[in-house]
Amino acid sequence: MDSSVHLDNTVMQFGDFTAIQKTDLKIESGEFFSFLGPSGCGKTTILNMISGFIDPTQGDIKIGGQSMRGVPANKRPTSMIFQNLALFPLMTVAENIEFGLEVRGVSKSERKKASDRLLELVALEGSGTKKVSELSGGQKQRIAIARALAVEPQVLLLDEPLSALDLKLRQHMRTELKAIQRKTGITFIYITHDQGEALTMSDRVAVMSAGRIQQVADPITLYRDPHTAFVASFVGENNAVAGKVIEVNSEFVVLDCGPLGKLAGRCQGNVAVGTDATLFVRPEHFRLQAENGMHTLQATIDEVNFEGAYLTLNANTPANQALSIQLGTHQFSDALQKNAPVSLSYNEKDAIVIAGGGHV
Amino acid sequence: MFSQLKSRFGSGLAVGIIGMIAIWLIGLVILPQLLMVDYSLRPNLLPADIGGPEDVYSLTNYETLFSNKIHLAIFFKTIWSSVLVTSLTLVVSYPIAFYLAKVATPQKAALCLLLLIIPFWINEILRTFSWYIILAYKGPLNALLLGVGIIDRPIRFLSGDGGVLIGMVYAYILFMIFPIYNAIESLDTNQIKAARNLGAGWIRTHWRVVIPHAKPGIATGCIMTFMLAAGSYAVPALLGSPGSRWFTQIIYNWFFEGGDWNQGAAYAFLLLVICIGFIALVMRVFKVGLGDIAK
Repeated sequence: MDSSVHLDNTVMQFGDFTAIQKTDLKIESGEFFSFLGPSGCGKTTILNMISGFIDPTQGDIKIGGQSMRGVPANKRPTSMIFQNLALFPLMTVAENIEFGLEVRGVSKSERKKASDRLLELVALEGSGTKKVSELSGGQKQRIAIARALAVEPQVLLLDEPLSALDLKLRQHMRTELKAIQRKTGITFIYITHDQGEALTMSDRVAVMSAGRIQQVADPITLYRDPHTAFVASFVGENNAVAGKVIEVNSEFVVLDCGPLGKLAGRCQGNVAVGTDATLFVRPEHFRLQAENGMHTLQATIDEVNFEGAYLTLNANTPANQALSIQLGTHQFSDALQKNAPVSLSYNEKDAIVIAGGGHV
Repeated sequence: MFSQLKSRFGSGLAVGIIGMIAIWLIGLVILPQLLMVDYSLRPNLLPADIGGPEDVYSLTNYETLFSNKIHLAIFFKTIWSSVLVTSLTLVVSYPIAFYLAKVATPQKAALCLLLLIIPFWINEILRTFSWYIILAYKGPLNALLLGVGIIDRPIRFLSGDGGVLIGMVYAYILFMIFPIYNAIESLDTNQIKAARNLGAGWIRTHWRVVIPHAKPGIATGCIMTFMLAAGSYAVPALLGSPGSRWFTQIIYNWFFEGGDWNQGAAYAFLLLVICIGFIALVMRVFKVGLGDIAK
């Protein structure tokens, strides 16, 4: 069954405010797709458009190739897991799960079978008669999943459903969600501002900012080859160094970074000689020893933080360029101390240059 | 309660607060009621005979109602009509309350609430009189209906119970809207979205999600409206016809026209008891507890 979702030149405006700029995006059938962005970027608006709570101002939403224009929320083949779960507190767990089936006129015995099967899927067998208030946070989460799956949707929409859970549970639920997605083969559309969630679970991620999709890619590409400065700094940590382009060749761009000297990185998109550009180096790409083909920055350590498996350093160059560095714990030495000088090297293959200044 | 108040305000103020509450409750609520119970159980005597050999407790005053067919009929009609008023008010108020709580923008909701409240700045008698004018045989409503061509001769709205019902629904609508509005407002909007999302149409969404949540508010509104309707005097007096008398009018007559306070007190108590019993029954049927209403 085709359960793809197509945002067909969709625009969403609220009065004068454009929440979603013209977007054309196809989410494949059976894909685990995430929208990642800071709050207010329009990702929830996209979910509301797909589920039918609002209609796009322009363009269309197509599910399985069918236009959803004019199809009310209760007639769409989608099902949603809300940020606050929105379980019905006055119904039992089983009644919650069976609600969608009850609406569809499924017989009581069939409903019971379905809710038993779903409770088993989410590993909460025998909880059907419990009240919602008797469940723990993680259990409520699973019931919300079971309730959403009960109606056998083509597309499952998830609106930051893990944000209320504690860290351990959240990580556990990530694995579980991914497993359920594989088992059911339903298209999952996941909304989050947590890049960890987006990167670990998704087949593809769309990074959004101010109503515009910045980049759509699989998690690894997104991390390695961000297309825009926003993606480079929003997904994972990044150090941004501004400079002027002085040389562009097939692979690398060399920037004149003023007092920091000439620095180079891989070219991303169109970068022209003489224009402003920004060099991005991830904290984990800095080395304490320089090797061939590496660029080195001299800095002073501001702070050393021990985080268990790794260390983070905050350093500052004489030109007042703040840098954050991540090192494996095995690299720890007494030399790494507050106010101590440090020379930081990176391989130009690991750095990226994106056109435009002012991202720093 | 005293120790809590004492720890917060000191013993002097605590005694003061409790004392004031006690005076209010005992002096202004409980004692007058007990006095009326006492009245209702004694015969109506000349001042000279009070305390004399004829002044004995009996249930005679209560028996009067059950032996008077007309009064009894008016009594039950009052209860039944109050049920009708309550149901009508609920039917009118629920959509308004839902609109105010979940659909309207804050500005529109504020405007609507203002429009609802403004008429209540006018005295109840005057408001009721305005209905008298609107519903009159040669009044504006009949003129409008005639003009539009819906009817070909004026309707006597005020001759039966119709005028009283309309007047009461209008008079008590705020007592119904506000508790329901409060209850629906506290419903998480995502619950409505979730029901829609799972395929529920509007009727089912209300029936399974909104109404169960709003039940305490609905119960509160219904109880207030019912009590006010059953105890109403002005509306039936002004909008009612001789054939649509309210039980409160009979009580009034005993007190101020018959001069028989003892009989009037007995009637008033019967009305109170039946109303309380009726409310208890309704709360039982709809599984609403006192605690839910206090919320």
